[in-house]
Amino acid sequence: MRQEILSIEDARRKIAEGRILLLAGDEDALRQLPKGNWLAGTIPYFISHERGGLVSRELVFATDITDIVADVAIAQYDQNTLARVYAEGPKHGFSFIVIPASSPTHLAFALNAPNYKSFGVRPLIGWIAGVHLDDLGKRTPKVFNGMTGDVVEDGALVLQAELPPNKLAEIGIINLFEQGDGDILTFNHDGFASKDVLVNGEKRDFAAYLLKNKLDTKLPLVADYYGVMVNISFQGIDEAEGTVKFYAPVFSGIRYKHAKPVADYVKTFQECLGKECGGDTDKVVFSCNCILNYLYSELEGKKTDPFIGPVTFGEIAYQLLNQTLVYLEVKDF
Amino acid sequence: MDVPSKSNKGWQDIVTGKKTYTLKFLAAKILLGRLTRSIKDNPSPDNVSSGVEQLHNLLAQNAHVPSVQEDLKTIFG
Repeated sequence: MRQEILSIEDARRKIAEGRILLLAGDEDALRQLPKGNWLAGTIPYFISHERGGLVSRELVFATDITDIVADVAIAQYDQNTLARVYAEGPKHGFSFIVIPASSPTHLAFALNAPNYKSFGVRPLIGWIAGVHLDDLGKRTPKVFNGMTGDVVEDGALVLQAELPPNKLAEIGIINLFEQGDGDILTFNHDGFASKDVLVNGEKRDFAAYLLKNKLDTKLPLVADYYGVMVNISFQGIDEAEGTVKFYAPVFSGIRYKHAKPVADYVKTFQECLGKECGGDTDKVVFSCNCILNYLYSELEGKKTDPFIGPVTFGEIAYQLLNQTLVYLEVKDF
Repeated sequence: MDVPSKSNKGWQDIVTGKKTYTLKFLAAKILLGRLTRSIKDNPSPDNVSSGVEQLHNLLAQNAHVPSVQEDLKTIFG
């Protein structure tokens, strides 16, 4: 099995065996692990084959890529150097990135990655590290470089994985949300917050618009990127500032619509599976799902097989995404 | 299929939105979502040329990927 929940003891054993691991876990759990061939981000929420959605401060989620990669290295970037992340990826392989939530590097990547000069030239998948929701404001998300023992609060760690010549990496998205039939919403600036919105071209107070129309902010704004639905999740309305805040930036000129409601997450998810990856899930090496899907769809104890993995504060499939499941397939070539 | 040269008119047609296609390669779809918007806002020759350059570079560097090969067939026949 490539992805599984492990006790600290089992994780230690795999590290000692020299396995190459992508890990997720609570900070206290990750700090108990020895140096080795691993990279990790903090998060205590997971979806497993055995138990479905769960939260644990003692267990770690492991994706073992030892048997599919030819070579790996770990690179560290900051907000000033991250523009090189695509170009410096392996020529035949993939890059796996983890960035701490709310760090300057997270914000820089969210806003700027689509404009990096070599956007998308090499596969880039990953996630945004977080914390237990009870720890918000008390602890900071972190990423761990198992090779060096470094713990990073601001920066991005990237595991650059070279694949054997007969293997090929491809990245996919499963998004339960589609654009609804309502107004076309656009913005005059890029950013994580906005006071104003253009509703069908007419400037309006965004918070007042949401309240007047009783729009459910659990449902994201959805943009159509040449057939790919990209969500912008609502963080909330800051009444003191009079702004609407998001978990990912809106971009000027993009046409957003409020999402259609999803009545039954698990049923819709299974339908999406068939549509998005043709049911051939044996090739899935890694996947992660958004914590907003976990919370709003009450996934604790529910299974989303065959897609399991960490439950994250943001997903990366070439660029930052929200309320989405992203996955990496490695296929014979 | 070989990647057509940047002078092929098909590149301009796709980045300007004159022609649209149902593509498979995720990175190309995300990039085109941005390029077509940018070029609609600013259809100057320089911006169109920059868009062609970016899309050509993305597909040329991934020309071995099956979904890219399918997309090239879809665009250029």
